[in-house]
Amino acid sequence: MKKTIKSIIRHLVLLFLSVVWLIPILWLFVTSFSGYKGINTSHFFPETWTLDNYAQLFLRPDSIVQYPRWFWNTFVIAAFSCIISTILVLMVSYTMSKTRFPGRKGLMSFSIILNMFPGVLSMIAIYFILKTMGLTNSHLGMIIVYSAGAGLGYLICKGFMDTISTSLSEAAKLEGASQATIFFRIIIPLSKPIIVYTVINAFLAPWADFVFAKLMLNSGVATDWTVAIGLFNMLGKSMINKYFSVFCAGGVVIAIPISALFVIMQKFYVEGITGGSVKG
Amino acid sequence: MKNGLNAVGKYFKDLGTAVAKGDIWVKLSTVLMGAGYFARKQVINGIIMCLVEVLFVVLCVGYAAPNLAKFGTLGTVQFEQVFDPLTMTSTVNDYDNSFLILLNSIISLFIIFVFAVFYISNLKAVYRLQLKKENGQHINTFGEDVRTMFNEKFHITLLTLPAIGIIIMNILPILVLIAVAFTNYDQQHMPPNALFTWVGWNNFKNLFTSSVTVTFGYSFKKILIWTLEWAVLATFTTYIGGILMAKFINDKRTKLPKLWRTLFIISIAVPQFVTLLLVRSFFADNGIVNTFCTSVGFTDFLKNIGLVPSNLSYIPFLTNPGWAKVMIVIINIWIGIPYQMLVATGVLMNIPEDQIESARIDGANPLQIFIKITMPYMLFVTGPSLITDFVKNINNFNVIYLLTQDVFVTSDQLLANSNAKEIDLLVTWLFRLTNEYYNYKMASVIGIIVFIICAAFTLVTFTRTIKGDKEEEFQ
Repeated sequence: MKKTIKSIIRHLVLLFLSVVWLIPILWLFVTSFSGYKGINTSHFFPETWTLDNYAQLFLRPDSIVQYPRWFWNTFVIAAFSCIISTILVLMVSYTMSKTRFPGRKGLMSFSIILNMFPGVLSMIAIYFILKTMGLTNSHLGMIIVYSAGAGLGYLICKGFMDTISTSLSEAAKLEGASQATIFFRIIIPLSKPIIVYTVINAFLAPWADFVFAKLMLNSGVATDWTVAIGLFNMLGKSMINKYFSVFCAGGVVIAIPISALFVIMQKFYVEGITGGSVKG
Repeated sequence: MKNGLNAVGKYFKDLGTAVAKGDIWVKLSTVLMGAGYFARKQVINGIIMCLVEVLFVVLCVGYAAPNLAKFGTLGTVQFEQVFDPLTMTSTVNDYDNSFLILLNSIISLFIIFVFAVFYISNLKAVYRLQLKKENGQHINTFGEDVRTMFNEKFHITLLTLPAIGIIIMNILPILVLIAVAFTNYDQQHMPPNALFTWVGWNNFKNLFTSSVTVTFGYSFKKILIWTLEWAVLATFTTYIGGILMAKFINDKRTKLPKLWRTLFIISIAVPQFVTLLLVRSFFADNGIVNTFCTSVGFTDFLKNIGLVPSNLSYIPFLTNPGWAKVMIVIINIWIGIPYQMLVATGVLMNIPEDQIESARIDGANPLQIFIKITMPYMLFVTGPSLITDFVKNINNFNVIYLLTQDVFVTSDQLLANSNAKEIDLLVTWLFRLTNEYYNYKMASVIGIIVFIICAAFTLVTFTRTIKGDKEEEFQ
């Protein structure tokens, strides 16, 4: 008897907590179907239900809302920077994990110190450097911002490669394989899980990034923006009453691809983070 | 430290040996970099070296020299525009752009440094070739040299591209940032219309002084304290919360643990900027939570006990400094716990079960087990990432900026004078100083200070990950 009561309390607590965690998400979802465009301040659920917000998002672009365009911009930026940064990370991880050369430890220490310097702080300088090259407000500039420094984030991937047994590459070396062959034929196929992790992480970063996009895409032309900047702009003081429901619809739509990727990544997520932090 | 000095000593000693003992071709290589290769019939290598040298000279004369000449003053010719009424065109004089001079000079210095290293290693390589020839060893053809780049020297091939990226995106900006901290680059000194120049340590002094006109010292102290408070609170609440949540869900007595976990993870799937902006509207002064609180009488209750100023008809969740700080921490808990729960779940599953079992047999209660076994284990495994999280929270831009931008207005005149707000972290302060007020000099100084703070904290993890490196253990 006592046990059942305890069990009920336990699950009630969990229920309460999950309600707390889900209320804002639920609000986002239901408001995206609201017939009223502004914030409904008196009712949680909308009074009239409609699909019009989604229609406006995709079919009626105006000077404020260019959702298909933003989606495309973000997708292009994310796709390219994901490919480039994955390649860079793999190159650095392999070098640091599997090759031995004088100065390797020194280089690793240096990269860790350098990585401590938060990107947010040097973004003004990055902005000016890209501006002198004429790359602000362009896809190329954003791709550079997201991927150029990716080589520094090699620690987790290196930690994974450290666990791949050296006997394989030793055997290959005896057969006459060069380092390049070992890299492409042995290490890369064996690193699949961590590659998936790196790819998805690199792909998700531009979707979630706000700071750099806000700084770099400052032309004020809606067609240049990424999803994050576009949605942020909808909640400006003068817009919020006309676009809040549309913002919610946009938030729901962007969550779909991200959750799909996240489900795939979840498996690697726990492994990757803990593994990398233990082994350094 | 001593090892480092020895290494540097050896580096230059080798160079000395190479030049002193080298034959005429090695000596000639000090002037014409390809000479040593031509002598050993490595014609292509020789041509490449010569081309590099020519390129460097051209860069020096055409690019580095004119910029470095103005580096001391950062330019003297003011921008002037003359309008000619006859031709209806305006002509611009040949003005100096201080920022471009600064940037180009730093790039030039960097190129010169890299070339110097390259030049020295070239001399050593040429000397090695001479020795090989004297000993009758095989000298590589160009094709063989290329092949070594995919074998013994594969690390050079692999690291070149990432290194260039890191130099452009990380090292160069940091150097520029440090340089700007010593100039008077701000809204009154904006290139191309105006020049800026070196001011020494003035900006650093400004950051630590509080006077009637300069309130940076006052703001800096306040914001630094809040930044540290925030980082401690944010890190520990989510860390402990995540562990407790993970334990609670993974407990044997909990039915359907997977379902519960998924419910919490849903909130991660929506991007942070969407949830944060949403929650901001949720808790707005005339938002839905306030409507609810007023209708159930909670607002009046808070007014009666003095937590809400009596002249307000709403709860100032994100507009009153005290309320906003508490709300930011709470909202961050909401954001952070699901992540931490995921990580903690992974670690908790690996706790050796027999330890807990034997403790239970010895009569330890669940709390004792948690404090004496689970927590030490968790801390051991996730300790380094805890410090990383702490540093990340010092720079947690998103939560603060997205929750309070356009919403929070400070009423503290002294803070407002230096463009700061009570709820600002050093990073958001820095961001607004640059993005809204163009005060680049102070932003750079703050950037350097934040770096020093983060570096101090990370040094702990740093020594652990590098010195206690167990990379060979698993191989």
